[in-house]
Amino acid sequence: MKTLLFCLVLLASGPALAAGTQYQLRVDGLACPFCSYGIEKKFMQTPGVESVKFDLEQGLVIVSVAKGIRLSEEQLDALIKDAGFTLRGVRELPPATAGGDTP
Amino acid sequence: MTRIVLLILLLLPATATLAHDPVFGLGPHTLFKQGVEVHVGADRDAARDAGTTITSLELAYGLSANWTLRGRLPYVRTDRHDGETQMALASKYRFWRRDGLGMQQSASAFVNLQSGASAAARSGYTTNTTFGLAYGYESRRWYRWAALRYLNKGKGDSGQRLGDILFLDLVGGIRFRPTHYLEPDWVWMLELNGERTRKHASSPGEQWFVSPGLMWTLRNFAIKTGAQLPLWSNLQNAHSRYRARLELEWHF
Repeated sequence: MKTLLFCLVLLASGPALAAGTQYQLRVDGLACPFCSYGIEKKFMQTPGVESVKFDLEQGLVIVSVAKGIRLSEEQLDALIKDAGFTLRGVRELPPATAGGDTP
Repeated sequence: MTRIVLLILLLLPATATLAHDPVFGLGPHTLFKQGVEVHVGADRDAARDAGTTITSLELAYGLSANWTLRGRLPYVRTDRHDGETQMALASKYRFWRRDGLGMQQSASAFVNLQSGASAAARSGYTTNTTFGLAYGYESRRWYRWAALRYLNKGKGDSGQRLGDILFLDLVGGIRFRPTHYLEPDWVWMLELNGERTRKHASSPGEQWFVSPGLMWTLRNFAIKTGAQLPLWSNLQNAHSRYRARLELEWHF
């Protein structure tokens, strides 16, 4: 029974253990959903990026990357610039705390 | 030669509109860097003498976040003449941008070169050039745009030259319910479009239109549609009873 419980706990915690860093980006210029697609496209072309979420009301973009992958602030700034927006700030979040719409 | 062609392409700003630009007027939007846009559209100009229908296929590419190149193949057919395929090369350069929380203001310059038989098929082969400036403000709820364009009509094979046209567009838009990223998004617009036909015209004068329009988008797909209804005109002929436009757009 103990072994079974241990296996269940291990299975349940698997994704959290495997999750990588999340970056919460404060982005200016995010007015419409259609224009935000450029940000999704630029990030999803970047190796190691697993998902991009948006909170347009707060001007937030939440980028999840695979375990072991790091994105520098310069990289993040360049990607937002290429999408046609302005990066105002970056925060690293613990995994699975971000909200917003996922593509 | 290749270098010259490439240089000309790089120097051409675009007339075609991106999704969150007005339906009939022009806005300052540009594609994201290395973004590709596929665009199909249909225009109907129901003039008093003979109507014109234009269907077109466009392909655009974002050289940078501020610079878009565009190729367009319009197929022009009037009610009295067979259709003819034209060709347009264009680009748009956004030279100013100010971003805020949920807000973007920007301004762009554009130019468009279109070659082919004239829409009325009366002047033979011509090359028309459009230059312009566009300003736009967009927020989570409100939109406003203003644009000024000058269409310089070239001399046709027959020697006939139609009048140049100065366009002024003033547009307001509203998103009644601000939406999230993966939700269908609706923006309603009302445009005031003025056209002043100038020198070399057989019928110089002005026309003004009021144009309700709609942009519907979902992630990377957009539909734009609208109708231009005449408000006032002092042209002797070539009055439009109405103009209508439908555009579908994908970004990749």
